[in-house]
Amino acid sequence: MQALATAAEWFIGLFKAGGETFVGLVTGIIPLLVILMTFDNALITLIGPEKIDKVGEAAGREGLIYYPIRYMILPFLSVFFLTNPMAYTMGRFLPEKYKPAFYDSAVSYVHPPLGIFPHVNPGEYFVWGGIATGVEQAGYRVSDLAIRYLLIGLVVILIRGIVTERITAIMSKRSAASEQAAAS
Amino acid sequence: MKGINKLLERIGRGVGKVVGAMYQAGRDSVDQVIKNVLPFMAFISLIIGIILKTGVGDWIAKTLSPLAGSLLGLVVLSIIIAIPVLSPLLGPGAVIASIIGTLLGTQFATKAIPAQYALPALFAINPQVGCDFIPVGLALGEAEPETVEIGVPAVLFSRFVTGPLAVVLAYFASIGLYTK
Repeated sequence: MQALATAAEWFIGLFKAGGETFVGLVTGIIPLLVILMTFDNALITLIGPEKIDKVGEAAGREGLIYYPIRYMILPFLSVFFLTNPMAYTMGRFLPEKYKPAFYDSAVSYVHPPLGIFPHVNPGEYFVWGGIATGVEQAGYRVSDLAIRYLLIGLVVILIRGIVTERITAIMSKRSAASEQAAAS
Repeated sequence: MKGINKLLERIGRGVGKVVGAMYQAGRDSVDQVIKNVLPFMAFISLIIGIILKTGVGDWIAKTLSPLAGSLLGLVVLSIIIAIPVLSPLLGPGAVIASIIGTLLGTQFATKAIPAQYALPALFAINPQVGCDFIPVGLALGEAEPETVEIGVPAVLFSRFVTGPLAVVLAYFASIGLYTK
């Protein structure tokens, strides 16, 4: 009987620890999250998300200076204003050859802003929140990490965009060549 | 008199628009928190509770922490997650990234992993982001079927290169972060 009670206590203890963690997360994260998301959402409605269409139209042009527009500014604005998953619809303004690279770039930016703009992807908050909570518990200031994640994220998506654009170009050339070989 | 009326009407309309937008924004964010954030918090709390109480945490601290507490270990982690066959399987809902992130978070909390590895770790757990969603994402961008056919492998191969690269970049970008 004694052993059974001890086992039961241990079993319940698992969930008690979970419950304490839950309360910590709810009181520590939710209040800020709700208010911040309310502000972001209101801002988006008042500015009007359709305003970024013009950036989309400009981003499809050839030339070196359009790389940062296509793979940094456009993904940032799309993710900020349209959020995950509607951000990817901005690809419709680009020529076909840039679409995979733009998707790669935009989808890679749905987590880096989470520390400062949680409205972009609240359902996947813990990709950022797991590590951030730990760092906070260790006694560090999380905003330092949040801002670096946001900025380095921009550099990473630019590199991803450029690399994926190259790979797409090589692959489409190869598939065109093999089609020709098959035809002749 | 007419002028004043027009002015009042314009102010009323402007205030109504702003208040309406803010109220709707509040409703949206509360909806999001209840539907998406709270359930995930419950799930994460359950996992953390079990890890803390069963001693799995100590095991993780001994095996995973040395891996996650070095640049090489994080690069290896990102390469494994970015393998083109694995990455689409690990993508859905960012669940895997959240779990690994939370596991690492418990180690950052106890300082088993030094906090200056937090930034490269954020990139190391996430090279598979969106790899499960490429055809849908491209379709949302109104891509042709031929583009999707090429785009899917192009993104997957690209991740294999840019995933580890992002970790290295983040490592050097953390110089001066949490050092003291």
